[in-house]
Amino acid sequence: MNMMSDQSVVVGSSSELMNDDGAYLGPSVRCVLFRLQKEVYGIQVKKIREVLKVGTIRQVPGSDAQVLGVINVRGVIVTVIDARRTLGLAPKPIDQHSRIIIVEIDAEHTLGFLVDFVMEVKDIPEQKFEPMVSVKDTASRYIQGIAHFQDQVIILIDVESLFAASDIEFSDELL
Amino acid sequence: MDEEILQDFLIEATELVDQLNEQLLDLEQSPKDQEILNAVFRGFHTLKGGAGFLGVTPLVELCHRAENVFDKIRNNVIDYDSVVADVILQAYDAVQEAVSRLNDGERVLPENDSQLLSRLDALTKPDHVEPVIIQAETPVLSLAEGVDPDGDISDDEFEALLNQRDALMGQTEPHTAVTNEVKNVVLSLDDGADPDGDISDEEFEALLNQRDALSGDLPRKESPVELSLAEGVDPDGDITDEEFEALLNQRDNLIVPQTVEAPSVATPSTQSQAAVIESGQPSKAAVKSSEDSTAPAKNKAQQETSVRVDTKRLDEIMNLVGELVLVRNRLLTLRNSEVNKESLSNTIGNLDHVTTDLQAAVMKTRMQPVKKVFGRFPRVVRDLSRKLGKEITLELRGEETDLDKNLVEALADPLVHLVRNSVDHGIEMPADRLAAGKEKRGTVILAAEQEGDHILLSITDDGKGMDADVLRRKAVEKGLMDEVTANQLTDKAAFELILSAGFSTAETISDISGRGVGMDVVKNMITRLNGSIDIHSETGRGTQIQIRVPLTLAILPTLMVSFEEDSYAIPLTSVQEIFDYDESQTNVIDGERMVRLRSKSIPLFFLDHWLLPQGREQAAASPKVVIVCIGNQRVGLVVDQVNGQEEVVIKPLGATLRSVKGYAGATITGNGNIALILDLPGVVQRFQYAF
Repeated sequence: MNMMSDQSVVVGSSSELMNDDGAYLGPSVRCVLFRLQKEVYGIQVKKIREVLKVGTIRQVPGSDAQVLGVINVRGVIVTVIDARRTLGLAPKPIDQHSRIIIVEIDAEHTLGFLVDFVMEVKDIPEQKFEPMVSVKDTASRYIQGIAHFQDQVIILIDVESLFAASDIEFSDELL
Repeated sequence: MDEEILQDFLIEATELVDQLNEQLLDLEQSPKDQEILNAVFRGFHTLKGGAGFLGVTPLVELCHRAENVFDKIRNNVIDYDSVVADVILQAYDAVQEAVSRLNDGERVLPENDSQLLSRLDALTKPDHVEPVIIQAETPVLSLAEGVDPDGDISDDEFEALLNQRDALMGQTEPHTAVTNEVKNVVLSLDDGADPDGDISDEEFEALLNQRDALSGDLPRKESPVELSLAEGVDPDGDITDEEFEALLNQRDNLIVPQTVEAPSVATPSTQSQAAVIESGQPSKAAVKSSEDSTAPAKNKAQQETSVRVDTKRLDEIMNLVGELVLVRNRLLTLRNSEVNKESLSNTIGNLDHVTTDLQAAVMKTRMQPVKKVFGRFPRVVRDLSRKLGKEITLELRGEETDLDKNLVEALADPLVHLVRNSVDHGIEMPADRLAAGKEKRGTVILAAEQEGDHILLSITDDGKGMDADVLRRKAVEKGLMDEVTANQLTDKAAFELILSAGFSTAETISDISGRGVGMDVVKNMITRLNGSIDIHSETGRGTQIQIRVPLTLAILPTLMVSFEEDSYAIPLTSVQEIFDYDESQTNVIDGERMVRLRSKSIPLFFLDHWLLPQGREQAAASPKVVIVCIGNQRVGLVVDQVNGQEEVVIKPLGATLRSVKGYAGATITGNGNIALILDLPGVVQRFQYAF
């Protein structure tokens, strides 16, 4: 594992140089970047329906701690989860920079992801991503990979995994 | 296979299969009805034609044989008795399965069950002539052996077998008396076939079979018949259905005298032969057919995700949407101009009308006749009663009642269960019925009717009814309650015991019902549909089970309640009464707070324990108790405030929140806030296990 991270640093720095030269970096992934605490995270644009300012969130008593509640997005009820809690960070009160990123796999699997601050949309070369390798951190199951790109470390969120846990619970209940 | 033609065929075939289902069951009631017989014959014939054109061989084989059988039946060669009906219904199941496989996108169908085919063939085997029967037994048996080994019998093999049999029969007993008529056969066949036109393989096959049937009876003369047939058929060219029909009739007229020769003995022998061949595995076949009858029905419910809508209704919707756009435009103009209160309120009034109409119009497109569910029951009842040896008439009423498409599908399983219960536990054996001074034949009535904004479904039987005392005793035996409580139960409450989990009073467990896992599942399913179940029963007279479900699942009348700022919706169907909470009227029994209501203790659920987990700043000013009925259980929900009734549109909570118990969904209230809809069975579970 140490070996891998060492290598990745080398690869990361060399490709930045290439980038400055304007060399082609292969196919890229367009991501919305947002900040939680000091870290930069990314979600693929194609999985995002929209980004909303935070309105009224209706609490749902009895739900998991990471679930903040539900919001009304033009007549559709969407569950909002706290990105900080999901990723194992300390919660932070909502302020004027807070945004809800609506991610969507299909009509049934739509989720609001409350983040501190939405930064920008950026194309990140696919080759920059390395798979997340972790042995202990439970939050890492939501992380698809990490990219070192233009002086930033970008943590890519695995949108599907945000739904995975609830799907399992649901199928258990059916049995 | 041409996909487009196939799709056309499938639409037709699906309709035909549905019709055949009804017709076959009708036929059993009146087996001599020529009209139905012809309709069934035509049904199989049309299916065969289409399948033949598309090269779906297994389907052709089945329909062809079924057609042969019905040809014999409508010409009075054999009777449509229950033995024949069993085989035909199995064939029908196979046809239905084949069609539904094609509907599911399968293009290569598995081979037919060879035993089914040979059983069908056996039905058309002639053994009308008395003397032949005795000696024919050997050939018949050897035939059966020849056919048994795995798989399809090819046409050639079949032909060979037939010839063998004919040869054998020929050796046995020459029937010289009828030789003259054989010549007539030859001539008439010749004439009929000559007219220009193709005779298809199947038709030819059919002709051959019929000829063989004839020649079986008139053995010596078979070779001239064969020759002339070959000649007659040779010139290529179409034989139309009518011509063919005419031919068959002509031929049949010829046979009639023979059947007269061997009068009443003929039919029983046909039956016995069929029975012998079938007896190899009769019980298996019976079990299978009863399973089959529910399985394909389930598939059907799942596969159908589209609705047919009358274009008139679509036009109506389009028209209303046009109106809606006009209203919006009007509102947009109003936004830009000086606000004129009167025109604004006019426009909003307009909007109100248009949306109400639009809502109703869209609802209508979701409505389907309850017939879609009822259609499967005649068969279910028939198979079950045959299996149990009971005689039962199923009456369907109000089949044209419309209800929501989702409801139609959701109701299918609970109803199957209830009808099976009526047949299995309700209706007595014929002998017992006679002994009790009732008609030998039991009746089960399945009815649907609209009752305000509800649909009332009822299953009524004139069987033995339920004995409230037996139920009370069982409840005590099973440890559901103590004797005192049990004896206090009203009869109606005792009947409702059958809805509790693990409660079965059947003396013997059958594979039809009586495992005690049924009725509580039924109850849960109905409760989930916001419906209710009522049971009426009278010992010796029968039982009636009434199910009430809302017309639609999309819109729910609710009672709005609230805790501090948050509102919640309780399905109004479950609400029985509302009164002020008064602590002095309550007592704590076994750690549970109960309220006394008309000399009954009802458990109270303090919803704020769950809905306001962080506690509250100050106690609610005047809490209310909402008595709700969940299945056969009454509980009181203590809420802060009751806000009144509201019709809400149910919006699903997403995948993430689906596992949270106690919510049926969410809705957006008149003031734009979100209200959570409570799922009462879930609430009860939450309180029973968590608090």
